[in-house]
Amino acid sequence: MTSFILRRFGLGALLTFLVLTLIFLALRLVPGDPVEMLLSSGNASASPEAIERMRSQLGLTGSLPAQYWNFLTGVLTGDLGNSIRTGDAVTQSIAQRLPRTLELVVFATIVSIGVGIPIGAWAGAKGRFVDTSVTVLTSIGLALPVYVVGTVLIAVFSLTFNIFPAGGFTSWSQDPARHVQMLVLPSLALSLGFTAIIAQMTRSAVLEMKGQDWVRTAKAFGHSPLTVFRRHVLRNSLTPVTTVIGLGFGTLLGSTVLIERVFNYPGMSSLLVDSVSNRDYAVVQGLVITIAMIFILINILVDIVYGILDPRVRQ
Amino acid sequence: MSISNTPTAQGSAPRPHRARARARAAKFSFVAVASAAALVLSGCSTGGSSADASDSDQSTLRFGISNEPADLITGVDQGTVGNTMMSLIHRGLMSYDSSGAVEPALAESIDLVDSTTYNFSLHPDLTFQDGSALTADNVKNSLEYYADPANGSTLNVGLKDISSVDVTDDVSGVIHLSGPNSALLEYLAIPTAAIVPDAALSPDVANSIGAGPFSLEEHTDGVNLLLAKFDGFYDASDVDLDEIDVSFYSDGTARTNALLGGDVDIIDYVPWPDYDRVSNTDGFTLDAQTGPLQFVQFNVTDGPFADAKVREAVAYAINRENSIIAAFQGHGEPLTGVYIPEDNAAYNPDMTDLFGYDVDKAKDLLAEAGYPDGFEATLLTTSQYAFLQDTALSVQADLQAIGITVNLDAPDWATRVAQGNAGEYDIAIAGGAGIVTDPTYIKGLVSGPNSFLRSFGYDNADLNAALEEGLRATDDTEKLEAYAQALTIMQADVPYAPINTREQAFAFNDSVAGFKNLPGFLSFYSGYSFAATSISN
Repeated sequence: MTSFILRRFGLGALLTFLVLTLIFLALRLVPGDPVEMLLSSGNASASPEAIERMRSQLGLTGSLPAQYWNFLTGVLTGDLGNSIRTGDAVTQSIAQRLPRTLELVVFATIVSIGVGIPIGAWAGAKGRFVDTSVTVLTSIGLALPVYVVGTVLIAVFSLTFNIFPAGGFTSWSQDPARHVQMLVLPSLALSLGFTAIIAQMTRSAVLEMKGQDWVRTAKAFGHSPLTVFRRHVLRNSLTPVTTVIGLGFGTLLGSTVLIERVFNYPGMSSLLVDSVSNRDYAVVQGLVITIAMIFILINILVDIVYGILDPRVRQ
Repeated sequence: MSISNTPTAQGSAPRPHRARARARAAKFSFVAVASAAALVLSGCSTGGSSADASDSDQSTLRFGISNEPADLITGVDQGTVGNTMMSLIHRGLMSYDSSGAVEPALAESIDLVDSTTYNFSLHPDLTFQDGSALTADNVKNSLEYYADPANGSTLNVGLKDISSVDVTDDVSGVIHLSGPNSALLEYLAIPTAAIVPDAALSPDVANSIGAGPFSLEEHTDGVNLLLAKFDGFYDASDVDLDEIDVSFYSDGTARTNALLGGDVDIIDYVPWPDYDRVSNTDGFTLDAQTGPLQFVQFNVTDGPFADAKVREAVAYAINRENSIIAAFQGHGEPLTGVYIPEDNAAYNPDMTDLFGYDVDKAKDLLAEAGYPDGFEATLLTTSQYAFLQDTALSVQADLQAIGITVNLDAPDWATRVAQGNAGEYDIAIAGGAGIVTDPTYIKGLVSGPNSFLRSFGYDNADLNAALEEGLRATDDTEKLEAYAQALTIMQADVPYAPINTREQAFAFNDSVAGFKNLPGFLSFYSGYSFAATSISN
């Protein structure tokens, strides 16, 4: 088992190295210059000399291999550099933004689990009208783009009924109630598609489990229908569902771009988009590495869980 | 990646069930721990309120701004939000009043001694927001910094004529120019022309301490800036607001929603599609001013657009009304000449209409240039800003009508800037404004080193000379004649093809009073107006 885990972590380290190399090269291959963006945003342009001087000050004039070496050694020592636009340490920006996005994703996941599993199980158990209704609703949930859902939620709950703010962010330490209030609509919008996936997965797993031999055996032992469903159908059905939840959590981390934009939520994704627009190399690199490492870590954890559940996977 | 979900045993509570249950419990625990951790981490992160300052007894204005400002760089025009922040935190010798007229700011008075000499006197006992004294030495050091091209200031275009500043005493001095400059006071009123502490006279130091009406108290990454009234401001007694909570809303629709939903009191850069939504809602005011320009740039280094007749053909081919509807939902004015404010001495009512919409004339001009059957060209725009892309689509159709087949190149804005600077286009759609309203702003659109702000490779010595003459003019007649000459050259040589002016709007709720969107190009300097703004509870 130890060597299995070590192999997974070794592979994870290799993947991380590939990701950071690719993002370093990709950023420098696309046109656009961070200093031009910094000095040319107004209606008067900076002189070419001024642009070149600032480029030199920011360490952007060295050869590509030299910049790459500086980047790699920085990453290994935990130094992801500084933002070209704000001068802030990238690690500091990530430390501020990552918890906000994680919080959004965690709440959306909790909502998705809390709603998706019960309605999926209900549809699988009841069949007929309930099943058809849930299938239709979840299909709609999957088909609706998050920005449409977000816009509708704002129109209804913010602009019409004034129940929730239209967007923004307040920290927990400043005002816990408003912090949670501002989390509700974006979490709901983000959770809709994930809820539909979990519901559909639960439904199909329940339908499959209902026909298994041990369910019939349990019924023959005289267990009540509720006990049979809870112990022998639903429990077994949740194995593939938990897999989907694990992987979906990682996917959600990278899917908050539109939600953060619609709700003006200052998470990691909006910073990433803005930083790409401004060619703020250090911030983009730092964020992509962080997201990639989280993703890789989740995959490793899922692999390890598989290994525990099914020893054949370790081979 | 797959997992076997085929049960290996049957009957009640088989061992694999317990294993799966443990795994499931572990995963739910992970989610629970992650949730708690996220809350804790979020709680630990430095706070900030995007829109919750109303619980304070203080007079706080909640301002939804269109982007998060970068660190302010001394003497560099950093766009709309950069100018707004400068006008809130800083002040120069001059400023703009609510009608757009230049007025003294840190200078109590500024007097023209002769065409190249100005005497200035500062308000007494001025200080910067860090408590240090602001004296005539700071004026000298700041202005000489902007005037030196080696420092890379974008103000250099207007302040390079400052040859020296002599300090008479702590509160007065003399500005010497190398030649007459009829727009000097306007350049001194630009928010970036602030008088700053000597320590900020470097591109490496954030220019965050000024002598303006509000001081920067707190910046929460991605969320907001908190500004507090600066009691040392020369006109502090007239500043009503105690605090401004500047929240960042880079998405236009989110910004409008924040205003209409009551999260903020005022927003800048109202998206054109939202104009009607705001102005039709009770309790809100849309304050729009026509100002910035839209135009077509040409790469004149080679190809058909090196020929002035082809450029003129383009200028006559543009259906400007269509363009305004397509890109700005009608919120703009056709521009058939060169924008010059009517109250400027250079304004000539006979020269406002240099190019009409005349497809036949455009075709004739193309034929005269040797392209009776048209040709193919690449039109550079950007997909990042809808109004630039929509303008490009409208122009594409107009040029097709005269036989020029246009292929759109619409990368993101950073690529658009890089391609513009490198001349990687045939024609391009651009938007912009003068940094001053005096027609000397035209120089920024037609002369200087290659830049995405002007047609690539364009340089006309006669035009440059006429514009220089206009700037140096010491009486109105001389100025009018010089600019008439410049416009005549522009009509024939077409350094760029004007399309339209567009509206820029702020919007605010009824609790806001005293705010005024400045007219024309000065809309980008409307941050000055916050010093005269008040809010009722």
